[in-house]
Amino acid sequence: MVRADAVETRPRLRRRSAGRLNRTPAGWIAAFCLPALALYGLLIIVPLGTAFYYGFFWWEGTQRAGFAGLGNYQEILTRYPLGTEIPTALWHNVLFFVGTMAIQNTVGLGLAVLLYRNPRFKRFFQTVFSLPYLISPLIVGYIWSLLLSPNFGPINYVLRSVGLESWALPWLGEPTTALPVLVLVNAWQWIGGPMLIFLAALGGIPQELEEAAALDGASPARAFWSVRFPLLMPAVGVITVLTFIGCFNIFDLVYALGGSDGGPGGAMDVLGLLYYRTAFEGGTNAIGESSALAMLIFVVIFGFAIVLERLLRRREVTQ
Amino acid sequence: MISRRYGVLAALGTLALVITACSPSASEGESDTSNGGGETTLEVWGWRQEDVAAYEKIFQLYEDANPGVTVEYVPYKAEEYDTILRTGLSDQNGPDVAQLRSYGLLQPVVASDSVVPLDDEVDALADFPTEVLDGARGVADGQIYGVPFALQTLHVIYNQAIFDEHGLTPPETWEDMIAAFTTLNDADVVPLAATVTDTWMLPIQHEIFGASTYGGSDYLEQMLAGAATFTDRPWVDSLTTWNETSPFWGSQYKGTSYTDAQALFTSGQAAMFPGGVWELAVFAQANPDLELGIFNVPPPPQAAVSETLVPGYLDGSFGVSANSPNQEAALDLVRWMATPEFGQAFTDELRQISAVPGVEPSDELLAQALDAYLANPSPYVTYAYFSSGEPTAWDLASEGLSNFVLGQWSAEEAADHIQRGVDQWFEPTQ
Amino acid sequence: MTPLSPATTRRAARAPEQAGPPPARRGPGFGLRRVGVQLLLWGYTALAFGPLVLVLVGSFRTNADILQQPVGLPTSLDLGNYQRAWETASLSIYFLNSVAVTVAAVSLCVAVSAMAAYALSRWRFRGRAFLAALFISGLMIPAKLGLLPVFYMYQSVGLIDSRIGLVLLYAANGVPFSIFVIMGFMRGLPLELEEAARLDGANPGRMFVSVALPLMRPALAVVTVFQFALTWNDFFYPLVLMRSDEKYTVPVGLTRFFGEFAADRATLFAGLVIALVPLAIVFALATRHIISGLTAGMSK
Repeated sequence: MVRADAVETRPRLRRRSAGRLNRTPAGWIAAFCLPALALYGLLIIVPLGTAFYYGFFWWEGTQRAGFAGLGNYQEILTRYPLGTEIPTALWHNVLFFVGTMAIQNTVGLGLAVLLYRNPRFKRFFQTVFSLPYLISPLIVGYIWSLLLSPNFGPINYVLRSVGLESWALPWLGEPTTALPVLVLVNAWQWIGGPMLIFLAALGGIPQELEEAAALDGASPARAFWSVRFPLLMPAVGVITVLTFIGCFNIFDLVYALGGSDGGPGGAMDVLGLLYYRTAFEGGTNAIGESSALAMLIFVVIFGFAIVLERLLRRREVTQ
Repeated sequence: MISRRYGVLAALGTLALVITACSPSASEGESDTSNGGGETTLEVWGWRQEDVAAYEKIFQLYEDANPGVTVEYVPYKAEEYDTILRTGLSDQNGPDVAQLRSYGLLQPVVASDSVVPLDDEVDALADFPTEVLDGARGVADGQIYGVPFALQTLHVIYNQAIFDEHGLTPPETWEDMIAAFTTLNDADVVPLAATVTDTWMLPIQHEIFGASTYGGSDYLEQMLAGAATFTDRPWVDSLTTWNETSPFWGSQYKGTSYTDAQALFTSGQAAMFPGGVWELAVFAQANPDLELGIFNVPPPPQAAVSETLVPGYLDGSFGVSANSPNQEAALDLVRWMATPEFGQAFTDELRQISAVPGVEPSDELLAQALDAYLANPSPYVTYAYFSSGEPTAWDLASEGLSNFVLGQWSAEEAADHIQRGVDQWFEPTQ
Repeated sequence: MTPLSPATTRRAARAPEQAGPPPARRGPGFGLRRVGVQLLLWGYTALAFGPLVLVLVGSFRTNADILQQPVGLPTSLDLGNYQRAWETASLSIYFLNSVAVTVAAVSLCVAVSAMAAYALSRWRFRGRAFLAALFISGLMIPAKLGLLPVFYMYQSVGLIDSRIGLVLLYAANGVPFSIFVIMGFMRGLPLELEEAARLDGANPGRMFVSVALPLMRPALAVVTVFQFALTWNDFFYPLVLMRSDEKYTVPVGLTRFFGEFAADRATLFAGLVIALVPLAIVFALATRHIISGLTAGMSK
């Protein structure tokens, strides 16, 4: 389950020098580790374990009714329409992740490069670009749904008044545009993250490399892609993982933009919403079913994460 | 070394122990609460934040008649209320009396024994009509778990000023209605402020426009007996009937939310709003100058019945928490809620139709709505009668109808979606 | 599971930011490009800021105005919306709750995480690798899935409708990310200072407080900023765990406010502005620290 070796490798290089620091009495170790472990264990690990346990029982409201075995799992996977909504929601999470990587992170990289080359007002731009991340995703969702309203929203009003009548779509009401709009609104909020990380990483790349490439006659664009970009790969790794976590845990923003049904025809339905509906809008056996669903989601996200991490590591080795 | 290993083990052991601590347990030991004979405070939970002031006035009547009792209305946001209530009812710090949802949405709190059956506690329940009590009944045991408080009826609400301006009157026939819609469309007024993105409104709008096509109560009876389904012609046709009005929903109806639709209507940009009678109070508050009227949709030519049906259902009931430390006082309160005194105060203060038999709304439009409903009542089928199992017809209908009006599915596919879901648990009565 | 190998984090962030921009290459079209770049940057500024400006402008207009004409300037400087929003939404109470809960949760989280991360990256002991992996795997756990059990646990110990319960939960949620960032940062720190302190006879606690903590500051800044925003903005936990209006935090309070004023956009906008202004002020005052904390954390 756990890539313990990953944590291990780096310190091992230092083992000799660290060796002398390592005779720490158990009391100190406990005093330093236990508070975090207690918080994390009690409120994160234990509840998850409990959910796993809940999933093996039938429930009547908040009363446990009887041992279900894998009954709840069978129920959620085979019952129509829930059984078909799970893969759909997962697919939307994947699309959302891919879309966010493609839009948010490339624009973030673009902005970082621009700011890196043009440090004038850099701090001002940094601040403004990352400002939206301070706003609650829920409020971001409310703001944008007001702005995108086809009847009273300023965006369509402006589009209409500049003659782009055909562009004034019911953005959040059309199944084909809802998910792309979600990606864009989410990117609007979080673009500051990748931008700052890329900016820091760009600052860390030695000048000489690109100059050498320029001397060799490479165009600036070529110099960027062949020299600088590969050196940004580690930052890409960090951003990929952060994006992954964000995209697979998304709930608030979709809830605010499309309600708990996930927008028009469920076009924005994601795993987080599906869990919310099962747990909090479900029927009598909601606890059993939602606990089973929680476990499935957990396994899926964890599995994806492991695969993703493998891929990123392999990349790095080949670099 | 041993101590270190022990430390980790001990930590893990503690974690394991705690697992047992976080399972839901009926809180026991209901001893220490104030019951002596002095002051009692009853908390009444509900989902109507906009009604706090009115409930204060209503409960004042009760407090005046019952010295020593204080009744407090504690509202939660409607969308989150069910979650909050289910968990709140499971312990003593929750409500004493709670507004319970009706029909299928009531069942989870009944199943967990969180509310007290009232058949033997509230004698006045015997006077309530069966259709109304259906909304407060537990499906497993047939007992009544709450005193019904409000009936909701469904209509087309219209703006009198716009009707006058275009020389329109409430339509007598389907053709009249379509002609009126066309007149308004031509005059660049949105005829119908229809909600599309908030999918819970879709089954309501379907009932308003489609009830007479499938036939209302008669068809419901056949469905309950297993002789008819959602996928049979009359019901599928009712979807098409409803969708025939979509050219009159405004140019960008696909993105129109519930609040957008309300705003379209109250700002005078739309002439009509298909919705529940509860909107009247909301509209009057948003725009006090608005002169409102209501009508129901006349049957289209191919309809199953020739009457103008008025769909309606029970909104909810007041139940008593099984974990309330003040259960006797709480029961007294709900007994009062079954009296005409409460019913009259309810309809006067809240501008809603009281479910207490014999109470006449003083508001003219409400009285009109109630009379129309009593003359030609029609059920809210997906919400009231096919919602006690998972998945509920109400959820299925919201999804199916959404895909239908967005053009993703045909009427047959939408109906099939509902039937397929319901078939998994619904057993016809015969 | 560690989502990133330590090597990734280290390389992502190797050198300090001060490296500065490249010397401008001179050539034809240079000025033109510069103008183009400025144009792009200001363009994005408009995009980032525009929606907030629309909200601000809308908050001074009347609802009827907004419904008739979505874009436009206020006809008069009417503060009625603000008055209505302020009086009905008890935003001041929500705001104080948010401040109290967020500050307490973030401090607790950073404190316990810093200690654990220090122990895990500096001391050798049995189970260390396992413990580190256990913490960091939390990054990938959708913690919200455990909400129901947390609810019942809280119910049995009386932490429902308690700000303390909320603080503990937020702190626990932040532990994986904080430990992850601080450990990554610690790995890049030289051991010499701690070594010297140890030779001076300092005990581990003292070494942590007077040597390691000051060195960790950039990482602590990153963690604080991240957790602050996450905690401040969360609405899921208080929605389920809090009961009384006077204990709501800003996001939950706002959902309530949104329900109540759904039809009155002007008042909604005013409420949003009231909710956002304090945050904007904090941000404006702390920008320098936030940005330098972020970049420093990423680049060490």
